[in-house]
Amino acid sequence: MVKKQAAQTANPKTEFQRINYLSELWRDFKKNKGAVIGLIVLCIIVFFAILSEFMFDYETQVIAINVSEMLQWPSSKHLFGTDNFGRDILIRLLYGARYSLSIGVCSVAVSLLIGSSLGVIAGYFGGLVETAIMRVMDVFSPIPSMLLAVCLTTAFGRGIVVLMVAIGVVGIPAFAQIARASVMTIRDQEYIEAARACGSREIQIILFHIIPNALAPIMVQATLRIASAIGTASALTFLGLGVPTPMPEWGGMLSDGRNFIRDYSYMTLFPGLAIMITVLSINMIGDGLRDAMDPRLKR
Amino acid sequence: MFRYVIKRCLLMIPIMIAVSFIVYFIIDLTPGDSVDAQYPELTATEKEELREELGLNDSVVVRYARYMAGVLRGDMGTSSTYNDSAFKIYMKRLPATLELAFWGIFVAMLIAIPFGILAARKQNTWIDSSSMFFGLLGLSIPNFWLGLMLIMVFSLQLGWLPSFADGTWRSIILPAITIGTGQAALLIRTTRSSMLEVIRQDYLRTARAKGVSERKVIYHHALRNALIPIITAAGSQFSVSLGGAVVTETVFAWPGVGRLIIDSINTRDEAMVVGSIILTTMLSSIVILGVDILYAFVDPRIKARYSK
Repeated sequence: MVKKQAAQTANPKTEFQRINYLSELWRDFKKNKGAVIGLIVLCIIVFFAILSEFMFDYETQVIAINVSEMLQWPSSKHLFGTDNFGRDILIRLLYGARYSLSIGVCSVAVSLLIGSSLGVIAGYFGGLVETAIMRVMDVFSPIPSMLLAVCLTTAFGRGIVVLMVAIGVVGIPAFAQIARASVMTIRDQEYIEAARACGSREIQIILFHIIPNALAPIMVQATLRIASAIGTASALTFLGLGVPTPMPEWGGMLSDGRNFIRDYSYMTLFPGLAIMITVLSINMIGDGLRDAMDPRLKR
Repeated sequence: MFRYVIKRCLLMIPIMIAVSFIVYFIIDLTPGDSVDAQYPELTATEKEELREELGLNDSVVVRYARYMAGVLRGDMGTSSTYNDSAFKIYMKRLPATLELAFWGIFVAMLIAIPFGILAARKQNTWIDSSSMFFGLLGLSIPNFWLGLMLIMVFSLQLGWLPSFADGTWRSIILPAITIGTGQAALLIRTTRSSMLEVIRQDYLRTARAKGVSERKVIYHHALRNALIPIITAAGSQFSVSLGGAVVTETVFAWPGVGRLIIDSINTRDEAMVVGSIILTTMLSSIVILGVDILYAFVDPRIKARYSK
């Protein structure tokens, strides 16, 4: 935590204000109106993702087939219409938010934990360790990420966990490279040398000095990666490789709606809007974080 | 410089060998095999005999070694779906993907360069913010959804453009816009930051002082120097779109390698899947290498560094 003491304020009483890093970050983040709007929108989506379990019954409202309500256009009864199985699209969209968000967050958690650890180790120790780790990353980097994700989901079958792991594995090289680059700018700093001189062990230096100071670009990348992970998950489900039916994943809903696009276009419109709004809000947050964390990028 | 190019080319060889093993190993883990997919009517005993005959019961390392021995002889296996050389089928489908990737980048640069220049010239104004927002929007729109919406409006409702590859030049428009919109987002940012670096240079101030019009200052002087990172970013996007076109090709029934890979996965055509992914990865790496070399040639500072 970087702590600063503010100069004496206009208030005649002398007060020391301890401003910690997070408060400063939040203050700079708030200045970006787009980022704040993105955060509000994301909070609403997360709210529905969490509470949909209690608001709707999965068996009777989310996946149950209702032939009498098939292919109804949006109305007061079904705000976003119904699909070819008579299922309410709005309910499925709200329930489906949990799949998209959990896949996005968990896959990035996989990439971040594994990739960043490898990158930190490579950047800190250098030499043969760095060469070995980065050469392994070099092998995965040239494979187009979409094709690698397709390979992994094909091999291990459809499912949410497989999707999380597949998208997570695809993101490991990027996090390794960012973490390594970040650590390399920090490892030769004087405070690291001072910590070593004080007798700190390598693991202590990595955990308490290197990682906290290398975190900024990693967190920005993580936020932006969540957005792209949600997009990739939807794309894979659209291709028939992701979340199996009848789970209400947005990409799968788009794929179902594709067969009815001529006469029932609303079936493709709303799931796509849901993906776009979620990904956009996360991208706006990521942009705001990047501007708040790097003063050189500030206007 | 020449040594740098040779070194990069030589480094590609072990990387591609490792990539081929990883792809082969992962695809090998897929449940079922080509015997199950192609001969569902056979009994279990007959299928086992066929697997033994085709060598499918050997360990993955032995099968991979056999596959690589074939690759070295120029044989990437036979597609069980098309009954023809996997390499031949891939090369037949590749031009369609290259065409899509090329026009996608063209559309991306058509959108990104003017907006990026405008955002740089009007930095910190609402024009700048709007350009960046639209860039972000382009990045956030799922490209398969954009493709479907374009089909809905321009093909089904207006009837102006075809929704699939029908052999006419008009069939490339919607797929190119679909791919190009997402790529434009990244290129707008690159253009903007590149122009911002160049736009305040002293030599431009000299040009303005000499009375050169602002239009000429921007497009004749500034843009030429700002183009280098933009072109390299576009080159990287081109290689990304080689792999990412799989979704767009599915939406538009475009006869490219992306759709070939998905169709081959569905028919458990292992030779086709492995061969296609390896070749696409190789092509993607060659494009990135080409872009790096082009960058080194175009930017004399980079060229000098590698010429030492």
